Amino acid sequence: MRTLTTRLTPAVLILLAVTLMVFHKMDALPVEQMRVALTDKMAPVMSAVSEPFVALTDSFDGIATLRQLRAENMQLREENAKLQKWYENALRYQAENQSFRELLNVKADPALTYVTTRVVSDPGGSFVKSVLLPVGENDRVSKGNAVMSGQGLIGRVTEAGARSSRVLLVTDLNSHIPVTIQNTRTKAILAGKNTDLLKLERLPQDSGLTVGQRVVTSGDGGQLPPDVPIGVIVEVGAEGVFVKPLSEIEKVTYVQVINADVDRGLSTGEISTPVDKHSSKRK
Amino acid sequence: MSMAFGANDGWQGSTASMLGRWAMTAAFIIVLLVLSTFPFKIGHFGEIRPSFMLMAIYYWAIMRPSTLSPIATFIVGLAFDLMGGFPLGLNAMTLLIVQWGTRRQRKFVLGQGFIVLWMGLALVTLGAGLFQWLIYSSFHQNFELASLKPVLTSVVMTTAIFPLIVLPLSAFNKSLAERE
Repeated sequence: MRTLTTRLTPAVLILLAVTLMVFHKMDALPVEQMRVALTDKMAPVMSAVSEPFVALTDSFDGIATLRQLRAENMQLREENAKLQKWYENALRYQAENQSFRELLNVKADPALTYVTTRVVSDPGGSFVKSVLLPVGENDRVSKGNAVMSGQGLIGRVTEAGARSSRVLLVTDLNSHIPVTIQNTRTKAILAGKNTDLLKLERLPQDSGLTVGQRVVTSGDGGQLPPDVPIGVIVEVGAEGVFVKPLSEIEKVTYVQVINADVDRGLSTGEISTPVDKHSSKRK
Repeated sequence: MSMAFGANDGWQGSTASMLGRWAMTAAFIIVLLVLSTFPFKIGHFGEIRPSFMLMAIYYWAIMRPSTLSPIATFIVGLAFDLMGGFPLGLNAMTLLIVQWGTRRQRKFVLGQGFIVLWMGLALVTLGAGLFQWLIYSSFHQNFELASLKPVLTSVVMTTAIFPLIVLPLSAFNKSLAERE
């Protein structure tokens, strides 16, 4: 009898796992709440345990040859010179923009607040592209918030606990973000493909896209603030239009959560479409 | 290259030493779980992400099946699923199948040298990777196949790093055996 039970246990458990997966797929289980409960408990532990590993990887990063440093320095100098010019331009545009706004009596977008934090884990690896942050509702982070690294959007908060939150990265298969092509204002959906590149979907026909155009959030759906840069078009071909994210998403260590209480529709002046509703829910 | 395997089949000893072993195993697994979810980003090598949990389950299934019962494996897998944002049950199922399948081949592998143990791991990792890849893809709304490249990278990394991981695993086995 005992041997029979021992033999059957794995089979029963495998069956149970399959059942759990089916229930999860059918949204019949409060998986999100269970996750939040566990990650809230584990986030401080993981943050503490990962401390020595952070130091280790940081020290690896610190080892660079003199030649590399020189090359990097040169590149940074050039970039700095360019940015100085841009900075002047930006100041000029800002003043101009301000005066136009006053002329038109535009109601400005609500001010955004930021929470900057370190990524404590990104466990998914091969399949699930998500990261865990040690900030949560206590830090005014909530579900739907945009998450950026220095250069651009990397994802958005899909689960928020009291002290931790999970970010679904733009590269995940389940990520669909309403976007606009910056200079043509063409609207599309930017979908993750589990690869380094993102794909533009639901494009209008003959949209005339070219390599090098910038892709920003459209703000449709009211979840993400508009005009947050995401990436640049790098491929326009028979297989579709592909976008390379501005941030090196796989290498991000520090991120900013943008806490935007965007008044729906106000920021874009358009009727919100519930187009990204399904993607905010993990399937 | 062959190794001395301290194979052992069954719980023995007093309740106190059993509790001690249980606590050690739990601590060891928590470390493995954290390692599995930690983003190692080393310089220009990019991400390094082998499946530590899978290596341990495989190793134990051959060397010391009593270390982790199927029920414990199931719980560990579920914890991993919840922490990692995987479809619930995906890792629980994969780890259970790996454990069950490996235990059936245990006698064969035990009689061979380290190379066979290593090759066995490569096969198991590849199988598990492809299996998870298929299940995860089918979990997507339109049954869209995810990219296979990261899966294969992880398989290669897991196989490459296994000889290093065997050292702490066999040391852990020894200290468990000493407490019996």
